[in-house]
Amino acid sequence: MKILVCLKQVPDSTVRVKVAPDGRAILTEGITWAISPYDEYAIEVALERKDADPTTTVSVVAMGPARSRDALRQALAMGCDDATLVTMAAEEVGGLAAARALATLVTERKPDLVLCGKQASDDDQGLVGAALAEALGLPHVAMVTKLEPADGGAHVTKEVDGGHEVWKAPFPAVLLVHKSEKEPRYPSLPGIMKAKKKEIPEIALATLLGEGAAPPAVTVTRLEQPPARGGGKLLTGAMAQIATELATLLRDEAKVLS
Amino acid sequence: MTAPTAGLGQYVLALCAVLGFGAGLWRLVALYRLVRLGRPDPERWGHLGRRIRDELVITLGQAKLFKRPYAVRGIAHALTFWGFLVITVGTSDLLVSGIFGVHLPGTASGAFAWTLDVFAVAVSLAVALAAARRLFFRPPHMHVALGGYVILALIGFLMVSLLALEAGGVAAGRLEAGAAPPPVGTALAGLVPGGAGSGLFALSWWAHVLTVLAFAVYLPRTKHLHLVTALPNVFFRSPRPRGALRLIERIEEQESFGASSIRDLTWKQQLDGLTCTECGRCSDACPAAATGKPLDPQKIVLDLRDLLLAEGAALLADPAAAGTAPAHQHERKPEELWSCTTCAACVEACPVTIEHIDKIVDLRRALTMMESAAPPEAQRAMTAIERAGNPWGLPPDTRGDWAEGLDVPTFAERPDAEYLYFVGCAGSFDRRNQKVARSLVTILRAAGVSFAILAKEETCTGDPARRLGNEYLWQTQATSNIETFGRYGVRKVITACPHCFNTIANEYPQLGGSYETRHALQVVEELLADGRIALAASDTASSSGADGAERGNVIEKIAYHDPCYLGRHNGQYDGPRAVLDAIPGVERVEIAPHHRERGFCCGAGGGRMWMEEQVGQRVNHRRVEQLVAADTGATAVASGCPFCLVMLEEGVGAKGIADTVKPVDVLELIAARVRPGGNAIDTTAGGNA
Repeated sequence: MKILVCLKQVPDSTVRVKVAPDGRAILTEGITWAISPYDEYAIEVALERKDADPTTTVSVVAMGPARSRDALRQALAMGCDDATLVTMAAEEVGGLAAARALATLVTERKPDLVLCGKQASDDDQGLVGAALAEALGLPHVAMVTKLEPADGGAHVTKEVDGGHEVWKAPFPAVLLVHKSEKEPRYPSLPGIMKAKKKEIPEIALATLLGEGAAPPAVTVTRLEQPPARGGGKLLTGAMAQIATELATLLRDEAKVLS
Repeated sequence: MTAPTAGLGQYVLALCAVLGFGAGLWRLVALYRLVRLGRPDPERWGHLGRRIRDELVITLGQAKLFKRPYAVRGIAHALTFWGFLVITVGTSDLLVSGIFGVHLPGTASGAFAWTLDVFAVAVSLAVALAAARRLFFRPPHMHVALGGYVILALIGFLMVSLLALEAGGVAAGRLEAGAAPPPVGTALAGLVPGGAGSGLFALSWWAHVLTVLAFAVYLPRTKHLHLVTALPNVFFRSPRPRGALRLIERIEEQESFGASSIRDLTWKQQLDGLTCTECGRCSDACPAAATGKPLDPQKIVLDLRDLLLAEGAALLADPAAAGTAPAHQHERKPEELWSCTTCAACVEACPVTIEHIDKIVDLRRALTMMESAAPPEAQRAMTAIERAGNPWGLPPDTRGDWAEGLDVPTFAERPDAEYLYFVGCAGSFDRRNQKVARSLVTILRAAGVSFAILAKEETCTGDPARRLGNEYLWQTQATSNIETFGRYGVRKVITACPHCFNTIANEYPQLGGSYETRHALQVVEELLADGRIALAASDTASSSGADGAERGNVIEKIAYHDPCYLGRHNGQYDGPRAVLDAIPGVERVEIAPHHRERGFCCGAGGGRMWMEEQVGQRVNHRRVEQLVAADTGATAVASGCPFCLVMLEEGVGAKGIADTVKPVDVLELIAARVRPGGNAIDTTAGGNA
């Protein structure tokens, strides 16, 4: 089986994001980048297939600036077989254009299965995976947590409110991963060393799109830092007095009591 | 005595001796080849003076045998061992005189005769004690098997036959001219019926000598091999500080990490297994074993030995074979290896200097770096260290936030600062420990110490990663810190975390980072001694949370908890106690008998801080039970480690005694009472922050 995982490099969840002076982007200087968490789960789901059947190959592709190479290396260290970086001139590319470019790549590579995270943790748009399925005219299952091959396709477990559903999808298909059964694996050291030596070929976004990328239809107009959380209030004194004061505050200040 | 072997007997004895010693030697050579299956281990050479001293103190002096609670057994063992040395001379004399008809020089002296007999009696008593202990007072983790009884019976029989041959010999008048009479033998000779002396002498003589030869055949095939292997095992013990793990050199060029095969252990680690006497002291002391975890340090050592004995010959024959992976031997439960807190209670307890932690970490290294098989919680902590530089995965640029409002300079602001205060992840991010960090600032300020922090330029030392088997991540973290230290020309480091202290002081030199590193309590001890700080008799900030009535001259009892990485790993037992003792109005009490060298871990070491304890009792709860059982009347329990503090806080909470015993860091007690001393350096004029 051939699996292709699409991933995006995003600011690591440990980064305290700061808004750039222009108010339309975040400051990227000195921050730690990582594979978007849902994409990491997608990699784990793919690698679990490879664990079960060693003839399975797992390829990864990322679209983004040169730093995205680190995310691909991480995926290789985890155990993916090969990686491709789609480079682009402009920093920002719309989700639809990204999906179209990936569709060209999928058409060339002919994987049995395309896995994406259900959404990237930076913009939480969740567009690319669904658009990719649409562009390719392939079956599409979202919120996937588990994958088991079944003749000519796969039984796909997906999370729904309060439970799980098992769907059957024929190959090829595009699956959007919500979580993996196990936590994404920590790369082995031989894996890290091997990944360091692997070539990561590049393809220009323009090559995949042919006619060139249309600018995104939507633009970010304003980013704001969330307001600083106010400190708590400590009430002291006799128990009855505290209770009265608390009730007053809850009614007058917090307005949760009437 | 004239040996009863004239004529044919001499040849029979010579043949027996050749066969007996030959069979013993044969086995030793085979074991030597198995030991050589291990990897080279360059650190085992050099340091000759220290090695000779170890041999004299630990082997000959039996120093580690007498530790509590093993003192009586230790004395019994030492008597047997020293007796063995003396009696071996007597036995050699018997063999030599039996084969060649001449005596060894000195054996005719009265001093020798007395020494021999005194030890013969002492060893007999020790053997009786050892047998009684096995039969009636069996220690919990001791492996009691038939082999032990066989050895005791052999030794006992040797003593009895020695005294019998002496008695018979004296009675039969076989004492050589000029030889001093054996005192016990002479006394017993009176009991020998007339005319039976000669027969008793010949029978006992042969029985004694043949038993010695049987011993030579049997011994290297049993755990009593330690009689031979303890000598090299003590001699070659690691010269590393106890707290330092073994460096994997040129890690980027290696292909295999940790012990995936018995071959991956070093020859010294193989020797460790062959030296284990199965006494169980390591497992008796182990906090994981004591709280129902599947870890049994003795079993790890013995498993590795058994694997060597079972598969070693096949591995020697086939250089390509790897054999059973030790981390999976006997379908080993992963929790066995992950339960270890690296507290070094086992290492401290072992009388023959076996290095348990190195082995456990080597097995963890194979699991973590080769198989990616570290537990998910450990993986999360390691990923967090990689990405955020702290095991909690908190935003790295908030690392210096604890110092907000304190005006603590960073090295970038004050590159001329004398000391780097390395805050560590706990002091930087854990709310409880941020208070300790602020306390240290108060103390250093009072003394006028010139210091600065690195704030967001500081990153985790890598200590938890290294102990979780991720040597690569430790090296990455250490290299990063060493580069940062180098950039600011840091020469002196203070830290309030024993784990940071241990790895910076003992492990960073492995990567070329050598600094004058001190734990904060060592610094406080010096500042007190130099008169740079003074302590007020009392303060409004009473550490125990006691109300106003409990101030003034009222003695506050405070128990001291030894952090493993200050105490056992770095020998800091007295320093922190001296600091506590210097506080007016405070009486230090001990959590006896679990204190000092026998201090009981809080459960957080070895990366356990970031893993849940699913099996058995929580180690910190046991620790709090010990504190309660010590019945010290303490209103606070003080330690010098952020993780001990967190664990003790959780422990007193869970045990419902949070209102009566308050966990604190010694630094907090000092900070609440500190005043500039007479010799404090006034930094206000110089504008020092």
